[in-house]
Order: sequence, then structure tokens, then C-alpha cells
Amino acid sequence: MAKELLLALCQDAPSAARAVEALERAGFPREEYEILSGAPYPEGAFGEKPVKHRVYVFPFVGALSGFTVALLLTVGTQLSFPLVTGGKPILALPPMFIIAYEATLLGAIIFTVIGVLFEMRLPRPGLGLYDRRITGGYLGVLVSCPEARRPQAEAALKEAGVLEIKRHPDIRQRW
Amino acid sequence: MSEASLTSEPQGREPGIAPGVAAAGLSPLLRGGWVFWLAVAVLGAIFLAGLLSVVSLWQAGFAHRAPWGYYAAAFSILLSTVGAAPLVSAGLRFTGAHWRRPLARASELFAVAGLLILAWFWPLLRLVPASQPQSSLWFGWPGAPHLWDTLVIAGLTLCGLALLYVGAIPDFAAARDQGARGRRLFALLALSWQGGERQWRALRAALTALGACYFLAFVLAQTLISTDFAQSLVPGWQDSLFPAYNVVSGLQGGLATLIVVLFLVRWWGGLGAYIGREQFWALGKLLLALCLLWFYFWWSGFIVLWYGRRPIEELVLQLFIAGPYLWAFLPAFVLSFLAPFLVLLWNGVRRSILGPTFAALLVLAGLLFDRIRLYVAAFSVEEAGPVLQALPAPRLPQAGDWLVLAAAVAGVALLYLLATRLIPSLSRWEVAEGEQLRVERAFLRRKVTVIAKPD
Repeated sequence: MAKELLLALCQDAPSAARAVEALERAGFPREEYEILSGAPYPEGAFGEKPVKHRVYVFPFVGALSGFTVALLLTVGTQLSFPLVTGGKPILALPPMFIIAYEATLLGAIIFTVIGVLFEMRLPRPGLGLYDRRITGGYLGVLVSCPEARRPQAEAALKEAGVLEIKRHPDIRQRW
Repeated sequence: MSEASLTSEPQGREPGIAPGVAAAGLSPLLRGGWVFWLAVAVLGAIFLAGLLSVVSLWQAGFAHRAPWGYYAAAFSILLSTVGAAPLVSAGLRFTGAHWRRPLARASELFAVAGLLILAWFWPLLRLVPASQPQSSLWFGWPGAPHLWDTLVIAGLTLCGLALLYVGAIPDFAAARDQGARGRRLFALLALSWQGGERQWRALRAALTALGACYFLAFVLAQTLISTDFAQSLVPGWQDSLFPAYNVVSGLQGGLATLIVVLFLVRWWGGLGAYIGREQFWALGKLLLALCLLWFYFWWSGFIVLWYGRRPIEELVLQLFIAGPYLWAFLPAFVLSFLAPFLVLLWNGVRRSILGPTFAALLVLAGLLFDRIRLYVAAFSVEEAGPVLQALPAPRLPQAGDWLVLAAAVAGVALLYLLATRLIPSLSRWEVAEGEQLRVERAFLRRKVTVIAKPD
């Protein structure tokens, strides 16, 4: 079934909390709405379940990839061209450690940047249903529900006393 | 008596972004008054004059290292001040210190100076031989030290810029939405950020991870630079504590730089309402601790050589402390440790804005002398044998050397000033988050600040 988007604009956090309560009472599951805000709120402030993300996985994957590349590079090159330098062993651990450290770190940095953009789902082609007042202190309750339940969502939000309900993105807000 | 009767209800406001915070830091974006452009012109002129001095060094060639000593010292000063400054914000974010919020962006903005550090580093590569006859970390490893040292400096710069950019995305969105000049540019930089719960969680996790990476990159950068561009240039110098000393003195320099810049931002950046005694007091305590650590690491390195008394150890002590660079060592010791320690020892001085700023200025002056005594001395050694045989003549700064040092400072200031026109100098989302978590409430006969810790 096609999903319909609604954005309820609230003047402050308590009214956003009331809108969320109204949606809960109307039987909308938590997955069908999201709070948009100009500053982060403590997790669970609006009764939401903890948001799961995998940002921490990316640096570890990057670090492991970097370390593996470094290990292959250092061991491979030294074994391919086994030149003894100053009586030191062919697989000399101190310089291998530095190169492994560097590659591990670079891998972690690059993967973290990729990871955070992926987890934030950015960049996106457009802003979608949004209101510029959100970064000015207002809060948005973005509801994504089946088309048939839209009137029910609108009624719940109106009952909660939200400031405004938007259904269509502002064409001037493409960015 | 119950707690309820001792205290009253909190006198805070409703949660949400205060109107002042919502607009803070956005007005100067892509704008600049005549004072700003005058400062840009003056700094640009100093930077260009310094560059001319570097060009004359370049024309003289790379056959002798000694003339490049002050250039190398300037590089180390950059790495130990502006290179370390973003760590203050990253470190305090780890510890969950709420007072760091107004200074977070001022600290992270120094990441733009990483571009200057990277550019400044390039000529130095031609001054260090690929295969050094004396012992080094590298065992003749291919590409060492040039490729690997460049990679770590590039990694540090990349990580700093990523830390700055990711943390600024919500503020770019605010500039896009709040009608700041250049809305299209900010819309592009904001990447269609909306401020959903998932985005906020991911952003905070990424800032923690990037902060950790920056710290690890900084430690490695200081270790490699101090080893390859100082220690391995002096034949026979063995001191396992020297890289650690560079890291600690670098952290001290980064913190001092931030304190001085906060003072300037407070008075001339229009952020006096956010950056106050609370921040200076807390940073002053950290600076006091780092002054003590400076002495501990310096002493630990010194005492081993002093007890050893091998000829090379005596020569190394002569070179860096008691001999031709005594004129630089004495002010370095007094200004990096003794004077700021004695200043910050007093509660009243530490608990002020001017006190920590004054101590920070002393520390920065001390760092200048310290890096001169280390890098100019190391670069003045032209011997290539296994052990240093004789002390080189002292190299006092000439007019060109002063210009090079001034160019480093002017270049950083220029980049920082220009960056404040593109990136809000207040992390408004972090300040707004902090404002929601603190209230004033009465406690017996006085008012106290109560800070919530939801995590």
C-alpha cells in the first residue's frame, strides 16, 4: 500500500511530546513517525525506542582492511626482495608496526566518513517534506503511514494541538 | 529535613533551542566588515613576506640543512599548536564535559590549518636523506621516511577536516534554513540534512570515532616527525622519551593556542555570551596539569642522559641544553613550565579569564624557544658519521628566519579567519543541546546550576 507523508510542526518540545502521545493513542507504531529537531534530544525523550545504527562498525572494518593491506604490503615486499639491512631481520617489526598503524588509521578514518554519511542517509536528492523553522527551534513530527490512515493521523495531530500540518514538500525547499 | 524542603523547583525554560542560540554564529557567514578585511590584508602581507623568505631559502638549495632550521622549527610549532588544538574538543567530548560545548567549534576550526601544515611539510622532505647512515626507525624501508611521514600528516589533516565538516553539517543546515547569505552554498554543504533521530545518533557516534582517530594520528605524527626530523639528524642521539615529550608539549601547545583564541573570539568574535569564566577556569586546570607533565617528561629524558655520561650523551646535553642553545633552553624551561606553573597555582588567577590567557601566552612563547632549541640545533648538525663528534656553532635567528616564523603564524590566522566566514564559529547545535540539559535552581540560600546527564 502506498505510504503517505505528513509533517506536523510543533512550537516546542512538550507539544512535540504531546503529538507523539496522540499518535501512540491512535495506534500508530513507533516506526511510522520520527522527530525532526534542530538540536539532539536525550535518547527516549519523546518515548522513542533507542535508534540502532552501525557507525561504530565502520571504523573497525576500515581499520581491519587497512591493517590487512599493510600486512600484505610489508610482508610481501620484504619477502619478495629479501635485503638484509644492518643485520636486522628481513621481517623487521618496528617499521612494519609503523606502516601497519598508519594504514589501520587511514582505513578507519576513511570508513568512518563513509559510514556516517551512509548511516545518516546523506546526501539525498532533496529535502523532501521539511520545514525551515525546524533549525530555528521548532520541532517536526514526520509521519509515514498507509494512505488509508492519513485522516486518522491528521486528526490525532490536530487534537494534540500542533501548529501546522504539511502534506506536500515546499517546491522552494528543494535543497 | 527532606530534600524537597531544601530546594525549589528548577527555574529553567521549556526544552528547545533558545532564540539567541538559534541565530548565534550565523550572522558573520560570508560577510566581513572593514576590520575583518584589514586583518586579512595585514595577515596576507605578512604571510607573503614570509613566503618570499622561503623562496630565497629554496633558491639557496637543499644541500645544507642548517639554513632551514627555523623553517623546520616553524613546522614543529604548527604541528604542536594548531595541529593539537582540535584534540581539546575531541578529548572533552569523550569525557562528556558539558562546558566544552561553546568552545568545540573554535577548537575544531583549527583543522583548516592542517592544509598549511601539509603544504609547509613538503619542502622539508628534501632535507632528509632517504637512507640515513645513522640508525633510524625505518631500517632502510622503501619510501621511508618521505612517503610514510607524508601519509601520516595527510591522514591527520584529512581526519581533522572530516571532524570539522561532520560536526558542522547541522549548522550548515541552520545557515541554509535561517536565511544566511549564500544559502545555496550552505544547502550544498548540508547535504539535505533534516535533523532526524537517526541522523543525530549517527553524527554523535561519528564525532567520537573521528576524535579517537585524530588523537591516534596526532601521536603518530609527533612521534615520526620528532624522530625523523630531529633525532635521526643527530648521529648517536638515543632517547626513547623524546617522541613522547613532543606529544605532551604538543598537547600543551594546542591547549594554550585554544585558550588564546577563545580570548580573542570572546572579545572580538561576538561570543562573549557563551564563552566565559567557566571555560577558562576549566581549561586553566588542564593547562596546569600539562605544565607539570611537560616538566616530568623533560626531566625523565634529561636524567637518563645526565646519569649515562657517555661522550655522545654529554654532547647531546650540551647541544640542546647547556651549550650553543642555552639562550633558547632557559626561556623554554621558564616559559613552558616554571612561569605558567607559578601563575596557574593560584586559585584566584586560575578562576579568571585573564589568568589562564596570560599563562597560555607564556606557554606559547616557551614552545617557540623549545622548538628552536630542538629543531634548529638538530638541523645545524651536518655530520653524517655514526656518532656526533663536535658541537655545531649556534645559529641565531636572522631577519629571514623571523619572517618565516611570522609567516607560519600569519598563515594559520588567515586560514582561521577565512574559515569563520564559511563555518559558524559556535557549534550552535551542541550549545542548544547543553542549554536543554542545565537549569538554575535554588539550594538553601543560593542558586546552583543543575546539569542533567542523560547518558
